[in-house]
Amino acid sequence: MDITPGGSSGGDVASLLGVGPGRRADQLFHSVALVAGLFVLAILGLIAASTTHEAWPAFRSQGLSFVTSSTWIPAEGKFGALAFIYGTVLSSLLALLLAVPVSLGIALYANEAAPSRIRRPIIYVLDLLAAIPSVVYGLWGVIVLAPFLGPNVYSPINDAVGGWPVIGWFLNGSSGRSFMTAGIILAIMITPIVTSLSREVIATVPRAQREAAYAMGATRWEMIRLAVLPWGRGGIVGAIMLGLGRAMGETIAVALVIGSQAGQVTTHLFEAGDSMAAVIVNQFGEASGTHRAALVGLGVVLFVVTIIVNVSARSIVARFDRQAQGI
Amino acid sequence: MRSSSKSLALLVAVLAVFGVVAAACGGSTSDSDAKPDSTYDYASLSGTLNGSGATFPKAFYEEAIAGFAGVAKGVTVNYNGTGSGQGKKDLAAGTSDWAGTDSLVADADKATFKGPFLYFPTVAAPITVSFNLSGVKSLNLSAATLARIFTGSVTTWNDPAISADNAGVTLPSTKITVAVRSDGSGTTSNFSKFLAAAAPEAFTLTAGDTVAWPSAQSAKGNAGVAQIVKATNGAIGYVDLSDAVASGLAFASIGNKDGKFVQPTLEGASAALAGATINADLTYSALNAAGADSYPITAGTYIIVYSSISNPTQASAIRGWINYVLTEAQTIAPEVDFAPLPTALRDKAIAQIASIQG
Amino acid sequence: MNELFVTTESGDLLLSDTTKRSRRIRNRLASIWMAGSVLVAVVPLALVIGYVLIKGVGQLTPDWFTKDLPAVTRRAGGGMGPAIVGTLLITAVAAGMAVPLGVLGAIYLHEYGGRGRLGRLIRFMADVMTGVPSIVMGLFVYTVWTIAHGLSAFGGALALACLMLPIIIRTTEEMLRLVPDELRQASYALGNRKWRTILTVVLPAAFGGITSGVMLAIARAAGETAPLVFTIGAARNLNLSIFNGPTTALSVQIFGNAQTPFEAAQARAWGAALTLVAIVFILTILARIVAARVARRHNA
Repeated sequence: MDITPGGSSGGDVASLLGVGPGRRADQLFHSVALVAGLFVLAILGLIAASTTHEAWPAFRSQGLSFVTSSTWIPAEGKFGALAFIYGTVLSSLLALLLAVPVSLGIALYANEAAPSRIRRPIIYVLDLLAAIPSVVYGLWGVIVLAPFLGPNVYSPINDAVGGWPVIGWFLNGSSGRSFMTAGIILAIMITPIVTSLSREVIATVPRAQREAAYAMGATRWEMIRLAVLPWGRGGIVGAIMLGLGRAMGETIAVALVIGSQAGQVTTHLFEAGDSMAAVIVNQFGEASGTHRAALVGLGVVLFVVTIIVNVSARSIVARFDRQAQGI
Repeated sequence: MRSSSKSLALLVAVLAVFGVVAAACGGSTSDSDAKPDSTYDYASLSGTLNGSGATFPKAFYEEAIAGFAGVAKGVTVNYNGTGSGQGKKDLAAGTSDWAGTDSLVADADKATFKGPFLYFPTVAAPITVSFNLSGVKSLNLSAATLARIFTGSVTTWNDPAISADNAGVTLPSTKITVAVRSDGSGTTSNFSKFLAAAAPEAFTLTAGDTVAWPSAQSAKGNAGVAQIVKATNGAIGYVDLSDAVASGLAFASIGNKDGKFVQPTLEGASAALAGATINADLTYSALNAAGADSYPITAGTYIIVYSSISNPTQASAIRGWINYVLTEAQTIAPEVDFAPLPTALRDKAIAQIASIQG
Repeated sequence: MNELFVTTESGDLLLSDTTKRSRRIRNRLASIWMAGSVLVAVVPLALVIGYVLIKGVGQLTPDWFTKDLPAVTRRAGGGMGPAIVGTLLITAVAAGMAVPLGVLGAIYLHEYGGRGRLGRLIRFMADVMTGVPSIVMGLFVYTVWTIAHGLSAFGGALALACLMLPIIIRTTEEMLRLVPDELRQASYALGNRKWRTILTVVLPAAFGGITSGVMLAIARAAGETAPLVFTIGAARNLNLSIFNGPTTALSVQIFGNAQTPFEAAQARAWGAALTLVAIVFILTILARIVAARVARRHNA
């Protein structure tokens, strides 16, 4: 029996009351709360079990070619998801490429450079960006952004540098609905998350570090480079990875602007492609049998990949937290 | 006295002849003039009829639903445009009361249905080959060129194959963006069947509700394909006439069996329908029809219902709905760019309504 | 003593840097980058909200909120009544399931589980669950519920509840952590049992923060599309039944209408987007106000 003050688990003083009226109510409440907590484990376990079970026929019939082949022809029973995995990864990486510099910039600006009057509005703007539902971003993307980018941005770039070596491998194609547009929409959507997490990380930099840098005559940028970034490196990497996880799981906005072109494993960024989540939402409604199992299988692959990314991100952030607190 | 009764009899006889002739003239119908069935008791019907399936006839069914709601106030009809494939599946599973489909139920799938079902042809329409190419307002495409475009052998608009069909027209070097259906579609089935029949050497893919198009952007529903074409310069896609007109797209003239390039019009569709062979179950194919004026990619669409329905009120409602579609709604069809059925076929379909038991 | 990142080596770096001028230029460029990033983030936000406002506001007539969806999708007419009601109903049912479970779960984690193995496992799994893509939730609910029970609002609510649960657990646990232990100890000292303490002392103290977190979770759920697409079906008319029959929601309507070329259908999509964004913004702003009031009371 622990009667030291502080710490809320165990009931402390209350448990000193031992037997008596109300003890059963205590036990009941404890059980109810425990069951509620266990729900999380139960649901996660059910998700893993039921989706894997549904997908099993497809995994069994396709074997490893499910993830190594890019031939997806449901009518012939061929389910190779490589192109969709590629599309998910490519659009998410593009999103990171665009969002990370912007997010870091905003986080640094809000914490270091902004006059205090602007700090609060910036945070509000980010909150608003985060609150907009993804389907609204998708609507704007497919009706406004994609038709604009195709002829006005991608085509000129393609005409100018599409034939060049190296750079022409990527800046090629002219479709408004493409990997690049999906990447741009995803970048807009993950910026708030990456920014707010980075801000939290940057805010924990001890004054001592900053002042030491200034004491040596550093400019503000040098102070950031010497004190803030090295300190916050772990946390920022974690934030970026959480953004990556979010981008990979995004379905609706991507489905609307990626172009839904099967079999595209290409470096041409301005060409249409497909992503795992987009394929699921486009084809699930009328799929049956092995086709449906294969789509659930895509869901399982997506589930596993995003969990790996998220868990890695959190462990990196947790390690940063411990380091920051000097543990 | 005798002469007056004789002349009275003559008068009656003449009047009778007149009456018969007048009735015969007033009651005759032409292909485009369906007699409204004002004797059908729509008002006593009740129930909810959930339907799903093809987007090809969706515009027509929506108009018919709106009109039907006016005469049959006790019945609510819903139609969800999920594609022919899904429509057939929903009916088989029993989650819908009627299915709209442009393609027939495959033999292998017949066992999944809960009982025997009936095909009711409703309307037909051209499947347009819509395109979006700045500076080009009209285009001729032979079946072989069309097949090569959709199988990915022809990739730019100024390809010699396309130029051969369009003498004297300068075509830009824009890349062709092919737009197809991502969902299981009767429109895809009919379009691919046409290509397989009219250009077998060039069309090397397997026709059906889903086709493994090699390099094409895809979207759900005819409306989705229309959206890709409308928004992308250099795009080409197959869209039903109604959606294509409503989207303001330009259509290619397709080379028919007789070698003429025909625009997708209702006249072209009716010409193609005129020569189609009707099967015993009222299904037919008007694809790649002969005749100088026939539009070669004319597709019909059907409503499928079970022939035996357990709930009598529901059965009456279904009979009434199909009767409305085959009578009054036929006059609305041209307004939304669908061709009504030829009289003979329509009459056969109306007669088949009595086979719905319940 | 924490590791010092700024060391004499850093000082050497500063001194060995070429000229004072290049350092100033680099500093200026960095400042431009930082301020410019804010502009880059503001531009898409302004564009999206601007388009939604301009294109959607024309749709918001009284009919919009009361009429059923039009029979002919290509033409203007009808309204979004069933979709608005659908969104609110599905989200409410989802909240009704997720909020009690989430709050109780957080109570377990903070008041009972603490640093024990089960507690750490549950906390870890709740974090994992926040990262599960919403489409996987939709597939899951489809597999375990919709196949057996058909399309209904409840299926959608189940999927949204699964999305909300881990968020509510985490934010509620944060709020419980903020309640000072002295309050709990004082309650025990007065002879209260633990359950009584939690219900009558801790929860009321954390109420503001919990409400704020719950509202944010609801706002997030209201905007979701993917979990609803397979589970609620589609309906043109109002369906107030939770368990029977398909229904529709604003997010699903936007998704469907965004994939058509017809002006009237796209206009309906913009109107639905405006309505949905308004709902979400109101919830988010309310949540922020409640949180701010709690913070003020906390600091006062």
